[in-house]
Amino acid sequence: MRVPYSWIKEFLDIDIPAEDVAQRLNETGIETVVEKFGKKVENSVVVKITSVKKHPERDKLLICEATDGKRKYQVVTAAKNVFEGAKVILAKVGARIKDLVIKPVKFGSVLSEGMFLSLEELGISEKAEGIFILPDDVKEGEDPNRLLGLGEEDIFEIEITPNRGDALSVRGLSREIGAVFGIKRKEKLPVVSIAQEEIPQIELLTEKAYRYRGVIIKGVTVKPSPFDIQLKLIKSGQNPINNIVDITNYILLQEGQPLHAFDLKKIEGGIKIRNAKKGEKIITLDGEERSLRPEDIVISDNSKVLAIAGIIGGENSKVDENTTDILLEAAVFDNISVRKTSKRLALSTESSYRFERGVDIENLPNAQDKAIELITKLADGEAFGEKDIYPDPYEPREIKLREKTTKRVLGFSISKEKAKQILERLEIPTQIVEDGTVSKIPAFRSMDLEREIDLVEEVGRLEGLNKAKETFPKIPVESFRKSEEFQFELRTRDFFKDSGFDEVVTYTFVDEEIYNILGIPVPPIRIKNYLLKTQSIMRDNLAVSLIKTLIHNLRFQNRDIKIFEISSVFFEEHEEIRTGMLATGKAVKGFNYTKGNRSFSTQISWDFLKLKGVIESYLKTLGFFDIQLRPSEKSYLNPYESAELFIEGQNVGYIGRIHPKKADILEIPKDVYISELKLRYVLRKLSDTAVEKEGYLFNLFKNRPLPVFKELPKFPSVKRDIAFEVDESVQVDKLLKAIKESSEHVGRVELFDVYYIDENRKSVAVSVDFRAEDRSLSDEEVNSIVKDMIESLKDKFKGLKLRT
Amino acid sequence: MNLKDQIESLGKEAVELIKKVESLDKLNSLRVEYLGKKGKLKTILKTLGKLSPEERKEIGQLANRIKEQIEDLIKEKEVQLKEKALEEELKKHKIDITLPSAWIEAGSSHPIISTLVEISQIFISMGFSVAEGPEVEKEEYNFDMLNIPKDHPARDMQDTFFLNNGDLLRTHTSPVQIRTMLTRKPPIAVIAPGRVYRKDADPTHSPMFHQIEGLLVDTDVTFTDLKGILKIFLESVFGKNVGIRFRPSYFPFTEPSAEVDISCTVCGGEGCRVCKGTGWLEILGCGMVDPNVFEAVSIDPEKYTGFAFGLGIERIAMLKYRINDIRLLFENDMRFNHQFKGIR
Ligand SMILES: [Zn+2]
Repeated sequence: MRVPYSWIKEFLDIDIPAEDVAQRLNETGIETVVEKFGKKVENSVVVKITSVKKHPERDKLLICEATDGKRKYQVVTAAKNVFEGAKVILAKVGARIKDLVIKPVKFGSVLSEGMFLSLEELGISEKAEGIFILPDDVKEGEDPNRLLGLGEEDIFEIEITPNRGDALSVRGLSREIGAVFGIKRKEKLPVVSIAQEEIPQIELLTEKAYRYRGVIIKGVTVKPSPFDIQLKLIKSGQNPINNIVDITNYILLQEGQPLHAFDLKKIEGGIKIRNAKKGEKIITLDGEERSLRPEDIVISDNSKVLAIAGIIGGENSKVDENTTDILLEAAVFDNISVRKTSKRLALSTESSYRFERGVDIENLPNAQDKAIELITKLADGEAFGEKDIYPDPYEPREIKLREKTTKRVLGFSISKEKAKQILERLEIPTQIVEDGTVSKIPAFRSMDLEREIDLVEEVGRLEGLNKAKETFPKIPVESFRKSEEFQFELRTRDFFKDSGFDEVVTYTFVDEEIYNILGIPVPPIRIKNYLLKTQSIMRDNLAVSLIKTLIHNLRFQNRDIKIFEISSVFFEEHEEIRTGMLATGKAVKGFNYTKGNRSFSTQISWDFLKLKGVIESYLKTLGFFDIQLRPSEKSYLNPYESAELFIEGQNVGYIGRIHPKKADILEIPKDVYISELKLRYVLRKLSDTAVEKEGYLFNLFKNRPLPVFKELPKFPSVKRDIAFEVDESVQVDKLLKAIKESSEHVGRVELFDVYYIDENRKSVAVSVDFRAEDRSLSDEEVNSIVKDMIESLKDKFKGLKLRT
Repeated sequence: MNLKDQIESLGKEAVELIKKVESLDKLNSLRVEYLGKKGKLKTILKTLGKLSPEERKEIGQLANRIKEQIEDLIKEKEVQLKEKALEEELKKHKIDITLPSAWIEAGSSHPIISTLVEISQIFISMGFSVAEGPEVEKEEYNFDMLNIPKDHPARDMQDTFFLNNGDLLRTHTSPVQIRTMLTRKPPIAVIAPGRVYRKDADPTHSPMFHQIEGLLVDTDVTFTDLKGILKIFLESVFGKNVGIRFRPSYFPFTEPSAEVDISCTVCGGEGCRVCKGTGWLEILGCGMVDPNVFEAVSIDPEKYTGFAFGLGIERIAMLKYRINDIRLLFENDMRFNHQFKGIR
């Protein structure tokens, strides 16, 4: 909301610099910035256009003759709204508009001695159509800077929080400023006489209108408003239209009371305020046809809808230049009802904006009378009759504010005397009682002052929240919890960062398309009112986002990518935090050395086992040593280079290489390795249900056995290298495990060679330490252990034999 | 030449030769030539039998002295030569220590997560614990129970993404307040970091962003306590000299409410483009828990008071690292991300 300081001064005797006013408003809860009105234009003058004719060579241009009373100017313009007799502002030669200095310019054969200005060039509005036409009562030859207050007049740009509808007017803002500075608000009450000759027929048929007052005004002349009214509207950011409409807007801005003027002659029969009927339609003042629903409140006559209550009027009853008689409406409609309709129609107006936030029902006649006074004066109208329907007059609610509540909430005391003083400055009648104050809440604050706490806020904000001295609470001992899940995440994050992965943060909403490409079902949770279709599906895995990040980076020739993210994925019944990794290109880059100072570049590329190594290493830092792998069936992974990971029978994630066919479609390299871990979710699910009841407390390591110290071996071990030949299908991991478990005397088992003899056979060579706790083993003993081992392995592994 | 002179001249000869030796092999052959079983010293001593016992004793002692002298010299020379050989060997394999490293290079931190973690740790160190809640949230928790009724203009403050399952993407971390108060009895001191969503996208707004919510509920929590905690926090993040300003504001779930500004971190308060000339930057919203919120979670507002605050992580991260477009934070262009190595 834009409010000229000069308008405020009509309600307050105040001489404080605008910047200081703005600062205090900010400190007491109303966001305010001060701006200057327009930009000063040197070398400009008000001129009257004396003739308009077409340019002889250029059909889009007009040639205007104009005068400032002293001399004549010839100006070429492209604006279409100039006419003979119009008063406009001329930037003369030498004037500076933005970065342009006005010079005499020839358009074809015609010389132009300046430029007519629009509101945009005057720095008044962001965008303007046509030249700014001044009202007739302005004299040519005037200095536009002085006339308009360009670059001089202070304008408050106000942003009101939703609870402060009462401040959405010059009147309300003056009240607030008055309270802040302790200045009493003044008001010039309207003097009107309303004859009782023709009482409007008004029927209130809904509970969603709390008051409706209609006044018939006859004999009006619709014409442009006088300069001062127009200027106030322009300064407040509105466009003048005609005197009747301008006056309703003027009162809305000044009093916060929306008004609407109907052309009386266009109304058939009486006025009804009622719910819309199913299928009813109206063409509103913005030219749109609107379909109405029964929950909408409308103003209608006997045959048609005239306006949507509290939001906008209709074309069919609008005031135009031929209007002579009007019905002036002032009403208060239900805020929720107005909001619902306004939301549904996606139509927010100055009027609906104020009704949603509450309009002062008690000020209604005063505001409307001020409009009538102006219409009588400026449009020659005469008030013929009124009807005011107000079924349930406002009863002020009483709220008690205890001194101890103020202290308990704010942490500092405000005496009841001080509280009374503050509240009365806000025009809230207040009495002192034994333990505090009792206030009668006036209608203009009835929307937001309902409880004691609301008054605590009022006295607090005006006393000054900023200057209150800080105190330090004791943080309750009961809440010293360990934040285990958070710590778990930090640990995970540190591990992957230290292992060379770059942390990424991606959007959790993704494109359906990537699911189709990867050949996996599109997840069920979708955003209905998405911003972009490509950001409308709530992902159910991290791979889609990591792949998208890879694609983005490939565009910048970044081929070596190691990234991870810890973030959410979504399912119908739950969501979970996962850790996702993607790696492609080189894992390590650097140089190796040979003799004689020569070096050569070395690169270690990512492969399945390397990423598996990273994941296993991570799991080991968490104490998980026994990880089982089973082939993965994920359609986007290469089936021969991928695995599902299991810990204690629970699927905790996967590792795999992108399927080459998917890589081709996605235009990404084929050596992309992806892994996702859902450890946190699994661990939480496994953890005690009693813990779940505690909220989100996570006892990851509570049930895990601690390592138990074993004596170090006292006798040396015997090392033997053994080479086996097995069928290709034998899993090395299982073979190593079987060797380890074959005898109590087997210590360390180390794989040192694997190679394929042919398509069906492979060789596996291991180095095994044999030892006993109580003695050194003899060669004969070791030979016998090895022999037994080989026998037992032959039973378990297909085609196993010893290689010699 | 008598035997004595012969031995002494042999000694001199050997010493001269050993001093000049430059290789271990040569040194070895000298050792054999002079001290070996068939060496020159032994050969001379073979003639010893012809001498008288007195002379034999005298010559024997001389020969031993010469032998020891040669042996010592050889030992000394041997150490020298080995040192030299090692030095040469090492020198031959000298490396250019400035060549690029060949090990895994630690990855970069994302500035959002880094900031979020840093802020969380400050509150954890004050005794707050971390609470969490879902991002797909019920309308009731996101709005109604936070005193934001349906059809109230306050809902316009947050443009919401609605989901096909009837839920919504939480517009703030405040529903975690509700979830926490429904499951725990006061006293409560929690923070809730997390992703939140609003239907908004431009250089300063992202449809997904991060917040940290804070909540303290106890029998005697006051607004000045809130000021105290936030002062510690803001000074930890922005330094001891940061200016702090509390402006009364409005949030449906707190009353009184305030917005907190800090003195502009770019211009120090003089006014610049970042602070739009005001010298202040809006950094967080806070207030005393509204009694209606307490009633929604069955906590007696006559017995307990509490404060809550919420702050946007992106804004703080952008100020901290002078990032001028929020979209950069979510593109994950490695040319951007790699600028954030070595931060927490
Ligand atoms: Zn600044």
